Order: sequence, then structure tokens, then C-alpha cells
Amino acid sequence: MKIRITEYLDIDLAAETWCCHGCGQKFGNARDNYKKGLLIAERPLEEVHQPLVTGEQFSFKPDPDYCRLIELYCPNCGALIDNEYLPPGHPLTHDIELDIDALKRKHGVC
Amino acid sequence: MTSSYYGRDEEVVQRLRPEPMTAEEEAAQAGIEDIDFDIFRHKMHMIALEGKETTMKLGASTAMRWGDVAFGIFTAQGDLAICATGIYHHAVLGQIPIKYIVKHWRDEPSVGVRDGDAFFYNDPYYGGVHAADMGLAIPVFAGNRLICFVGAAVHTGECGGTEPGGTVQNAKSKYYEGLQMPPIKVGEKYALREDLLNMFAAMNRDPRTMILDLKARLAAARIVQRRILALVNEKGADFVIGALRRVLKVTGEAARQKVAALNDGVYRQPRFLDMVGSEPGLTRINLTVIKKGDRLTLDLTGSSPMLHDKPLNSFFQGLIGLAMVYFCGWFFHDLPANNGLLEAVDWKFPDDSLVNAKGEVSTSLAPVVQSYFAHAMFLCGARMVYSNDPKRAVAAWFSGFAIPIYAGINQAGEPVADITPEINATGAGGRSDMDGVDGAGAFFATVSDCSDVEATEADRPVVYLFRNFFNGSYGHGKYRGGAGAGVGLMVHHVPWLAMGSMGAGAHFPSTLGLFGGNAVPPTFVQTVDGSNMKALMRANDSPIARSLAEVYSAMNPEQGDRKFNDIDMVVRPRLNGDTSYISVSGGGGYGDPLEREPAAVLRDLKFGRTTAWAAQNIYHVVYDPDSLRLDEAATIARRQDVRQRRIARGRPYEEFMADWRKLTPPKDILKYYGSYPDPEAGFAPQALPKAVNM
Ligand SMILES: [Zn+2]
Repeated sequence: MKIRITEYLDIDLAAETWCCHGCGQKFGNARDNYKKGLLIAERPLEEVHQPLVTGEQFSFKPDPDYCRLIELYCPNCGALIDNEYLPPGHPLTHDIELDIDALKRKHGVC
Repeated sequence: MTSSYYGRDEEVVQRLRPEPMTAEEEAAQAGIEDIDFDIFRHKMHMIALEGKETTMKLGASTAMRWGDVAFGIFTAQGDLAICATGIYHHAVLGQIPIKYIVKHWRDEPSVGVRDGDAFFYNDPYYGGVHAADMGLAIPVFAGNRLICFVGAAVHTGECGGTEPGGTVQNAKSKYYEGLQMPPIKVGEKYALREDLLNMFAAMNRDPRTMILDLKARLAAARIVQRRILALVNEKGADFVIGALRRVLKVTGEAARQKVAALNDGVYRQPRFLDMVGSEPGLTRINLTVIKKGDRLTLDLTGSSPMLHDKPLNSFFQGLIGLAMVYFCGWFFHDLPANNGLLEAVDWKFPDDSLVNAKGEVSTSLAPVVQSYFAHAMFLCGARMVYSNDPKRAVAAWFSGFAIPIYAGINQAGEPVADITPEINATGAGGRSDMDGVDGAGAFFATVSDCSDVEATEADRPVVYLFRNFFNGSYGHGKYRGGAGAGVGLMVHHVPWLAMGSMGAGAHFPSTLGLFGGNAVPPTFVQTVDGSNMKALMRANDSPIARSLAEVYSAMNPEQGDRKFNDIDMVVRPRLNGDTSYISVSGGGGYGDPLEREPAAVLRDLKFGRTTAWAAQNIYHVVYDPDSLRLDEAATIARRQDVRQRRIARGRPYEEFMADWRKLTPPKDILKYYGSYPDPEAGFAPQALPKAVNM
């Protein structure tokens, strides 16, 4: 039984795994951080945030001293599962940590 | 004074949840029929709405005229039972000053609480936000029996600090912030004390607005008092007292039921602030939401330390207030907005933290701290509710403020000090089923308006060069954020005007996307001193910029001393004809931009709501640039190619992290952060290499 958790993430309750909502690819243990099962890349900021000013302190593009853009992809279908704007080197966020036992009880999966 | 000393009351601010039911409230429950209770709730809400509308119609400050108004009906103990507002933080914060009045003044012989009294307050310790938020409340008596309190809380744009316009970016302590009144009786026997009003006027750059706003709150409260007394005459005092209390009870029960339906788990979102007032610098607000059973716990452990000589601090109660902006507007949208909702919420704040201000530190920029926190609440909330109700999972509305501030003498010779109203025209976040609304409002004041530019120009010495949607203001996504406003302002009519702005997110985006959606681009202020704008306007064929996009295009003919300033810009004198440009931005994007319907991209292009650059580089749509006709097959192929390139550049988690962990921001911007990356890990010296571009 698959439960939709976000726009791009399902949990297969019986198998206790995270899955890609689009293609079904498994991302690992549902009790762990799904990000560990994804492909990760840092994007050059100007590819995503067009600078409208050059040579000045501000430009509509985030300042790389403060902020980097991390993207996380499904290794099978290339869907963008999520992204994170983080200061350089800051740990990725374990943003969803579900109580899998409670979720199984709720859906009658034992 | 009934408390033992004249210091802050640290007990009363803890009482955010409803007070225990009194014997009088309990007894009053007995005779209330369900149908009468439903009619009562509706009628009281209408009465509170009349209070809100009256406050707006009579007030003078920008926020009061354009709807950043909360009108409340409180129980005799001070709990906020009924609230008419789009500015939901006051739904839990508005009660603390009332509880203070009940605790300290009701039985104090030198003050007392009597029919005909009026109490004013703006001490941010009790109001929860900052000193510019001012309130006025009155007791409602039927004979000798105290039935309830009623009152209005509104941001008045000037409170006499060392900088004008309600916020002080250089504040080193609370004493820079101007007037900070714990609840004080300003009226008795149905008359305001003119000597006290005179004192408030003397402590404020814009006395006319200060006094008009104060009187507007009182006039609205008196109308609401009449309406409630009519209801008491009709239904009896017991009914009104009992039913007010019942509103809180049923709200709390319903809130716990709604929480119980969500998936148990832990949801996390760190937020990064990029300025500490007048100086750039990185700090972290770290939100963990623990959902178990019918309770939510908001845990702020891991946030940066309190800033002892900077204004970027907030009292903990202010964050709980801003959590209610998310809860009342989105998650508990179908429940009454009152502090009964907090029966489902617990909280944990670390002791030494910028989210838990203590002592005499300044909290002048608390709205920014609270706004960033509320944004984290949106993101944690979306991850928490999507599984049950995807339509409630929304990307955040613009969270960076970007509010122009001004002070001086206007064209009529009157003093003015306030903010401009575009904060009420920011974009909404993208949603699971539609784009964010363009120019929707403020996330904390969704039922608000941004004024006509002509109304603003009528008594403010500025001319709007333009005010319209800006395509560089929102986050892209499957569903894009709503566009915010690009604004051009020029000093006009007067020799000079002090101007600055308040906000955050010039370096690190203030507003992130959801589920892969893009963040809102950074926002900052361009100023041109000694501008030739007036000469360009006199020459009737000059192609002057009519939008922020044109300001940044090659065609812009404006000449002068051009500067790019942080969005948190301390006021400085601007001369007649000097110009400023600012993006009061839009909402975060929702979902993978590659999934956006190509037709939606082309529709945005046609109506000027996106750029060709974004259509090609973000959305990867292939189309004929002249006819805007879609090449469907080429678009599908190009998007598939983009997906393959993602897979080619992505690296497995451990491999990526091995290099990523070696990076750190430059040392000078971590001055206020605490230890990096976990601010609470200790302050041991560490090697901080300069950030390396990968
Ligand atoms: Zn996939």
C-alpha cells in the first residue's frame, strides 16, 4: 500500500520504503532520510536566478558566500524531488521523519 | 502596584492558552442552547468586524487605513474569544495586555478597572511584536458586572525611536526604540486624558497620526461596546459571559481533533537570516515541529544566540503569535481565530537565543525574525498536511518585508513618519493546484489593501514613478509564486525626506519554494541621488522606465549617483528629485518547474508575467518567439534531455556530502551565527576556510 507524502514522494508501507511518486523508484528505508537515496547536485545560482545587474553587490541572484542551491533528483526518472537553499557546507535537512509504526496502524498495515 | 516590583511581568506572558474556567463562566454555560450559541458566534463576529472596519475608516496610519487591523472581544479574564482580522498573530498576542490589566490594575486602588475606562499599550514585551504595534482596550460593564473587554491592535507607523518609521536598525538596546508603554489607563469616565495624549504626541515624530490612530481604536471599541450591551439586554449577562467562554472551549477541542488527523512525525526547517540590522551577517532560526497524537510541539532548539547589541531579536511569544498566522490562515482556516487554538500547541525555546529575547536587548526587528519563523512554519506545515489535504500545502508568501520607510515634513507642512503600503501587495505562494495569486496581500495580513498610489501621494511627499508587477519577484515552479510589486519612488514637493527601508533577504532569499519550487530572488534597494528624473519627465519624449524590469534594462536613461543598498537600509536624507527602486516581492514556487504546463508559461509570456529567459532556461519550453506558438514535441524532447542531464550531474548522497561538508561561509559573515553549522554546539575556535565555489 502506497501513501502519498509529498508532491513527489510516496511511502510503500508494507516494504517500509520511500518511493518516487512518478516512476516508483525506491529511495531507501522509510524510517531514514529519503535524501540518502537521491542524486544530489549544486546548481550554479545564475542558472536559476537571472542576475539583472552585473558588477554590483546585489543582482537578484543569491550571494554565494551566504547561499547555495542544492537539487535532489530521482536517480531513475530525473524528477526534481526537492531542493534546498543552504549556506555553504550546511547539513541537508532531515525534513520529514515519520512515525512509520503509527502510519502503519493508521492504514491497517501490520 | 499589586505585583511586588516595577520590572517586567514574566509570568503573564506565559499565559497564552485560555485561563482555567472560573465558577462564574462554568455556571453561565448551563442555559446555553446549541442553536443560540451558533447565532451568538456569528453575531459576535459581525460585531467584531464592525469594530475592525470602523478602526480602519477612522485611522490615519498606513497600516490602519489599509487593513493591518485586529479587533478583539476578550473574556473578563482576558482571553481573546472573538477576533476579526487578517492579521492573525494578534489572535493570540492581543490578550496578554488584557491579562496584564486584569492582573495588575483591576484591584489596584490607584488605577482600577471601571466603566468608561480606556487602556493603551505598546510595550512589545506584552504585545509580542515590536513597539510600533499599539493597542487600546476598554472594559464592558453591565451595571457593576464586568462582561468582557474589547479593543483593537494596529501597527502605527511611528513610535519615537532613534530612527523614524517604527523600526530602529541601529538599536543597541530597547531604549533606542522610543515609546514602550505597558498597559496604562488613558481614559476614564468616557473621556480621554488630554495630558496623557499630549505626552504621547510629544514623544512621536508624527503626533497627528499617533493621536488619530489612538482615537480611532477607542471610537471603534465604543461602538462594539454598544452592540455587546444590546446583546446583554436581549440575552442576559450570563449568556454572553458563558458563550464567550464556550467559543474558546470548542475551538480548543476542534483544534486538537484536526491535529490528531495528521501523520505523526517530526518536521524540520532551518531558516537563514542575512542581516542583523544595519549590518549584513548570517544567523539561523531552527524550527522542529513534533506532531504526536493531538499535540504539536514547536521546538526552536538550534537557533542562533541572542544578539546583545543588535535589534534582530524576538520575544518567544511573538513567534507563537506568528505561528498562528499559518495556523489560522491555512491549517485551522475553518476554526475561529482565538487563543483556544493553542490548546493543541506546545513550545520549547532555548534560553540564549535570538528567538527568546531577554533583558534590555532590542527587538525592533522582531517582525523579521518572526516572519522567517512563520515561513519555516509554512514549509513544515506543508510537509505535515500534504498527505491528508494537499490543497493546504502551500509555498510561503513573500516573507522579506522590503518596506520603504520615510519621515519628514509633507507638502502641507505637516510632519509624517510611516511606511508605504506595498507590503500588502506581495505575491502568494504556489499551491498544489494553482499559481500563487499576484499582488495577494501580506502573509500576516491577508485581508488588507495596498492603497491607490494617488491616496498615498496625497499627503506623502513622494511621487510613484511606477508600481506594477515585477517578474523578478517570485519563485518559479510547477505552479509559480504570485508576482509582487516593483516600485519606483521619487521625493517630490519638499526639499528633502528621510528615507530607508526595512526587510531581509538581499543576500539569502527570504522566501523559499516548496517541493522543488524556486525561492524568491533576493530583493534590495537601488537609490539614485542627484537624479535627472525630473528633467526626463519634463521632456515629453523621454523613454523613462515604467517598471522595475525597465529600470534594469539597457534603455534606462536615468543618470545620477546610483547605489545598490541592502534591503535593510537605515534612513538617510534624500533630496527633491532623488529616486528609489524596490521589489516588494512575490511568493515561493511550488514543485518542479519542468512540470509546468507549457501553455501556462506561454500565457504568462503573453501577459508579461514571465520573461523569455525563464521560459527558456527554467521551464525549457520551445516556442516561436513571435507568435508564441508552442512546439510540443521539441518541448517534450528538451525537458527529457534536461532530466537526463540532472541524472548525469547528480552524485550519490555520501559522495556529494564528502565534498559539501568541507565548505563553510566566510568567517566575517558568521560573527553573529554561533558555532557553524550548529549554533549551539559551542564557541570553540574552528578553522573557517573561505567559501569555495564548486
Ligand atoms: Zn522517479
